[in-house]
Amino acid sequence: MEFKNFSLFISQTKVNRFADDLAGGKIMSTLCKKCGKQYYPPQADCPSCMGSDMEWKEIKTEGKLLTFTKIHVPPEHFAVRQPLMPFSSIQFEPCPIGILEVEKGLPVMGWIPKMDVKRIKVGMKMKASPFTLPDGKITIVLEVV
Amino acid sequence: MRKVAIVGIGHGKFGVRSDASLRELVFEAVKGCLDDSGLSLREVDSMVTGVAGDEFSFGIQPSAQVHDYIGFHPKPNFRVEAACATGSAALRTGWMTITSGLADIVLVVGVEKMTEVPTSTATEIMGRAGDATWEYPFGTTFPGYYAMIANAHMAEYGTTEEQLARVAVKNHYYGSLNPYAQMQKEITLEKAVTSFTVAYPLKLYDCSLITDGAAAILLASEEKAKSISKKPVWVAGLGCGTDAMRLGDRKSLTSLEATREAAKIAYKMAGVGPSDIDVATVHDCFTIAEVVAYEDLGFCEKGEGGKLIEAKETYVGGRIPVNVDGGLKSKGHPLGATGVSMAIEITKQLRGEADQRQVKNAEIGLTHNVGGSGQVSFIHIFRRQ
Repeated sequence: MEFKNFSLFISQTKVNRFADDLAGGKIMSTLCKKCGKQYYPPQADCPSCMGSDMEWKEIKTEGKLLTFTKIHVPPEHFAVRQPLMPFSSIQFEPCPIGILEVEKGLPVMGWIPKMDVKRIKVGMKMKASPFTLPDGKITIVLEVV
Repeated sequence: MRKVAIVGIGHGKFGVRSDASLRELVFEAVKGCLDDSGLSLREVDSMVTGVAGDEFSFGIQPSAQVHDYIGFHPKPNFRVEAACATGSAALRTGWMTITSGLADIVLVVGVEKMTEVPTSTATEIMGRAGDATWEYPFGTTFPGYYAMIANAHMAEYGTTEEQLARVAVKNHYYGSLNPYAQMQKEITLEKAVTSFTVAYPLKLYDCSLITDGAAAILLASEEKAKSISKKPVWVAGLGCGTDAMRLGDRKSLTSLEATREAAKIAYKMAGVGPSDIDVATVHDCFTIAEVVAYEDLGFCEKGEGGKLIEAKETYVGGRIPVNVDGGLKSKGHPLGATGVSMAIEITKQLRGEADQRQVKNAEIGLTHNVGGSGQVSFIHIFRRQ
């Protein structure tokens, strides 16, 4: 699995395996074997002890929502092109996103596809899950537990 | 350490400048700056150019376009970059060039030509100034990052959308009095709160503008400054702080640690505290950013920023006038030029040349300029004497 299937732009990283595991249904972090510090998003290197001997560990997936938004004016990559057919138009309805804290210091960003943004509240209990999109790209979604 | 002063200022018109290229914008600002100081370029020892985006300038060496066009070669010039705080990074570099003894007079230029690309491309370029690997795949944009800060601030302190809109109303009012501002028009509170949502809960009038523009200042060592200018404005304190790349990794989502760190250093160096500041320009890329800046700079208690604007304490005549040049919100935000433009406004205020926007007897001023969603922050404190 190419890392780009998750990251969209960045293709080369030492934590490439993250994308494979995500496709396989697991959200993985890395853990420093020397000092025990855990990283999500995963890092190949540990700035805490300057070590690079890491092991992979699945994260807890339930936590509380730190914050959220719904971006109505998307960047170019995500923008909807208007159809060429005269008198036609596309109604764009964006999807909210949020940051879930599954453990202290482990924030998981994800889409919140099933909620009206006005009903989303900071502090909500939610669960993060891997999700494969119709175009084969892999991502993470957050849902109320 | 050698003392350094601002001895010349030049500000081009901010806006959609489809009439001029990047280098032509710089020429306007540099010309104004030389006229203001009475110096010629021959007397300037060194130069620093602040440009944030390669993608806006279509080349990796925008600084060369600049020194070529104003005819500064063969003297030193290079580019510095710190996203939206590029202009302040350039000023800091200019200050270091003088205090180190490498030069006595330094030209600091900030410029951006953002409308060279379509708005959606500009949105994308700025969105990727967050973490392009781990945040951008979720469609994040600049308004998106600050919207997440706004939602956290509202949940924790009860800050309201109306309070945020009041920041926009203030900054548009002062922008209407600033001839260099992009949007010289007042807005009503109703117009601000009913404008369309850009990133929930931030609406159109909560957001700063996509702007073309340039600004330039001349810095000089103490001995030179006194002979060049009757009203030198002294750099009294400089602070720089940084924070995690991703919002989720920050200690706080309702405060910018980078700003708090920079403020601590700058206040200490200048030997002043928040209550000594007579006038400030803060980084209001979004209305929530100005509210958070009030708190992080110590102009009010944590969580009280919404109330400070509600009580109009940041207007001229209030406890601490903020962004009385219109701010990024209404003056415009050409990334590389913004920090330099902030220093120009403070210079005008301390010289007593800010016309209708003048804060009476302003002695001490502060600029606060943030890069990205708070990854880096620069604070400069200036004194009249």
